[in-house]
Amino acid sequence: MRVPLKWKLYSAAGRYLPFLKIKPPEVDRKAAMTLRPGRNAVLRWEAQEESGKTLLKVPVNLQGGRFRKRIAQWMKVPKERVVELDEVGGYVWELCDGKHTVEQIVQATANAFKMNRREAEVSVTMFLQMLHERNFIGFYKKTAKSARKG
Amino acid sequence: MSETTDIQAVNEANALAETARQTVVGWQGVRCTLPPDWNVTGFSMERESGYLRIDAPSDSTLTVQIRWTDAGAPDVKTPYYFLARKVRRMLHRPEPKQPAVDLKANLDKFLKEIAKQSKKSKERLDAHSKPERVEREDEKRRSINFNWTGAGKGQGKIWHCQICNRVLVAQVVGMGKDINAIPGIASRLFQSLEDHAEDGFDLWALYDLQAGIPDGFRLESQKLLSGYLHLSFQRGAERIVIDRWGLANITLKKFTTAEWFANHSLVNLKPMQKRDETAESGHEITRYSGKLSLLSRLQAIRQAKLSLRNMPTRFEGGVWHCPESNKMYAIQIWRQTRAEKIWEEVLSRCVCH
Repeated sequence: MRVPLKWKLYSAAGRYLPFLKIKPPEVDRKAAMTLRPGRNAVLRWEAQEESGKTLLKVPVNLQGGRFRKRIAQWMKVPKERVVELDEVGGYVWELCDGKHTVEQIVQATANAFKMNRREAEVSVTMFLQMLHERNFIGFYKKTAKSARKG
Repeated sequence: MSETTDIQAVNEANALAETARQTVVGWQGVRCTLPPDWNVTGFSMERESGYLRIDAPSDSTLTVQIRWTDAGAPDVKTPYYFLARKVRRMLHRPEPKQPAVDLKANLDKFLKEIAKQSKKSKERLDAHSKPERVEREDEKRRSINFNWTGAGKGQGKIWHCQICNRVLVAQVVGMGKDINAIPGIASRLFQSLEDHAEDGFDLWALYDLQAGIPDGFRLESQKLLSGYLHLSFQRGAERIVIDRWGLANITLKKFTTAEWFANHSLVNLKPMQKRDETAESGHEITRYSGKLSLLSRLQAIRQAKLSLRNMPTRFEGGVWHCPESNKMYAIQIWRQTRAEKIWEEVLSRCVCH
């Protein structure tokens, strides 16, 4: 789901300038639970069976001119950074395929790890929010057309 | 004949499964039973007057609101109120007789607040109440049923319990299409709702944790995080701490239950006597007990805000893993020497699955 620029500006101002007392836009919980998180196509990941961890390989953005590239080369900046997800994080990551809704992911996580439904909802939504803030995932909104297709 | 027996057996099994799935909520002496997956979303820490809010799962607008106040306590507590109470206790004098609680006035006050909320959403409140009646065989409870329609719909009950001297208001509120489910939930709520301890033990139950704590103990602190619950109770300097960790299968890949408990225990477990026991639930418990060190006693006094009442001398602690619920539970008790059975009593009332 594409966040309008106005919302982005509002939330940035609200976060960094708390004295302005800007309230974040109200999100309809019901609508949020029907969104379908999908992974960023440029990310690669690897599930480690022994430790149960999942390693996300995030390419480092080296765009920005010749000078910046030279500095990066000279400083030996790695081309990608690795983000480690634990077992639960890896499980949720696997389900972020653009087919499962947030609601389905919450239910699946609660069942898989025998968590209370509410606890699973809180932790999964926070985790998805964090992944979204880092641009690791995006959210698809189910349109009327796709809903008809099922 | 055998078919009837089969149907009976199936019905009984279904009833048992339904009972196991239902949500039990217990907080500050108030306890009730609700359909599966309902969860506590708001609560107060005070015992004398407080509130509890329990929400329905997923996108339902149904919610249960419970409010209670101590009918004996005045609205404004002056220093004289506290001093007189203390002197009365010292001289072993009985509490002065309170005038009878006016339930109708309490209900009107409550409905006025709802009317204010309805006014904000530009809806007119239409409230109805039934006549006051005496409930139960022992006639210890006077109650009034009420319902209202405004910004949503609500069905509730207000009562005064003579045993605990609490005035309690409970209501089920819903909006839109959910209002049809209100009567069913309300009847279930009012059948199960209790407002004081049973057999001297308060039920503390939320998020799949159920524990019975002696009613003299008061909730001192809590942490309700996703995957970790912590409740700490105090009676003078005596303490009971209950912890519950989720995702035990992941934790136990790195640690044993004993190692995990040693890392999270509030006292040094090295000088304590360690032994393995089997609980009534069939789980293996790693149990620690022993004398509290001088430093731990001083810490207990500091924790009790320098109170020397019920000075603890011994520590009892234990941890177990419940594979059925994939959780780890730990109970820690700082007790006086004479309160020997407190560990067994608390453990037997702690339900993990």
